[in-house]
Amino acid sequence: MRLVHAFAEWLQASSASNTIQSVSWVIPLLQSIHILMIGVVFVSSLMIALRVLGLMRVDQSFEAVWHRFAPWMWSALIVMAGTGLLLVLGEPIREFTALSFWIKMLLLAAGVTSTALYGHTLKSGARARVRGSQEFSAGAKAMSILLVALWLSVVFLGRAIAYDREVWGALSLHA
Amino acid sequence: MRTSVKAMPIVEAIHVLAAATVFGTIFIVDLRLLGLPDTRRAVTVVCREMLRLTWGAFFVALCAGLLMFAANAHTYYGNTAFRLKMLALLGAGVNMLLFHRLTFRNVAAWDQNAPVPMAARVAGATSMILWVSVIFLARWIGFTKGYDFRIPPNTHINFQF
Repeated sequence: MRLVHAFAEWLQASSASNTIQSVSWVIPLLQSIHILMIGVVFVSSLMIALRVLGLMRVDQSFEAVWHRFAPWMWSALIVMAGTGLLLVLGEPIREFTALSFWIKMLLLAAGVTSTALYGHTLKSGARARVRGSQEFSAGAKAMSILLVALWLSVVFLGRAIAYDREVWGALSLHA
Repeated sequence: MRTSVKAMPIVEAIHVLAAATVFGTIFIVDLRLLGLPDTRRAVTVVCREMLRLTWGAFFVALCAGLLMFAANAHTYYGNTAFRLKMLALLGAGVNMLLFHRLTFRNVAAWDQNAPVPMAARVAGATSMILWVSVIFLARWIGFTKGYDFRIPPNTHINFQF
């Protein structure tokens, strides 16, 4: 952890980090774009999940719903990663010393990987469907709920970065 | 709530998530009003399925927002970004009301597989601009509001520990 802290301090002292820190509107602007992209990613994944659950756009095939929302979700994730990276560059100590940040990164990696695999499985396989119908299996439905919960956790942890010690107490890396 | 350090991040996270959901769902309706990605899905269907989620999320955001306001009412009230955000919200409401009362009346003529009339396109674009402004101004509040450390009147503090 000492190495991570030293790296964060070095990054914070860099000229790129200083530029982000010194211009007052850069961080709020990046955070606002980040939040807008959360809206696009979360709602896109929610639409896909609701289709699997049979609660939305049941008149359309899963493939059509996936093709409607997945490109938005992936594009917004890329913008989110870009603004997220700049935010980390601007405040590396704040981010790297927050337990919420590291759990968020882990869940984010899990979310992106499982969404890609899940989309691929549901598109290609009749395996995920109840035989001979557009209805999805209980496993596919459970996975869609799990993914929405995963994205919810990512958003909560993102906001919790600002309150690491209050949220995690003795577990906080700030302590 | 101001003194409960655990409540603040939870209420704020709920507010951010609900606001992001409001934006994301209304964005789908706004895109459809701009004829995007195409005009195959009926406007009435898109509105019906998305606006349920929008109103649900808006209600959650409103409740969380009211709690945040109650915890720091004086600071929020005097904050310019907060006032502008309320103005943008009001603008979004008026835009939606005008759209539903005027343009949406003859939706049957352009519901599906037909070009969207200019008034509906303008309503969609206006809504997008206003909701993006709401999010930007909301985030700006956090960087400009400061903290209200004034001791309320008639408070007796005992400095003899």
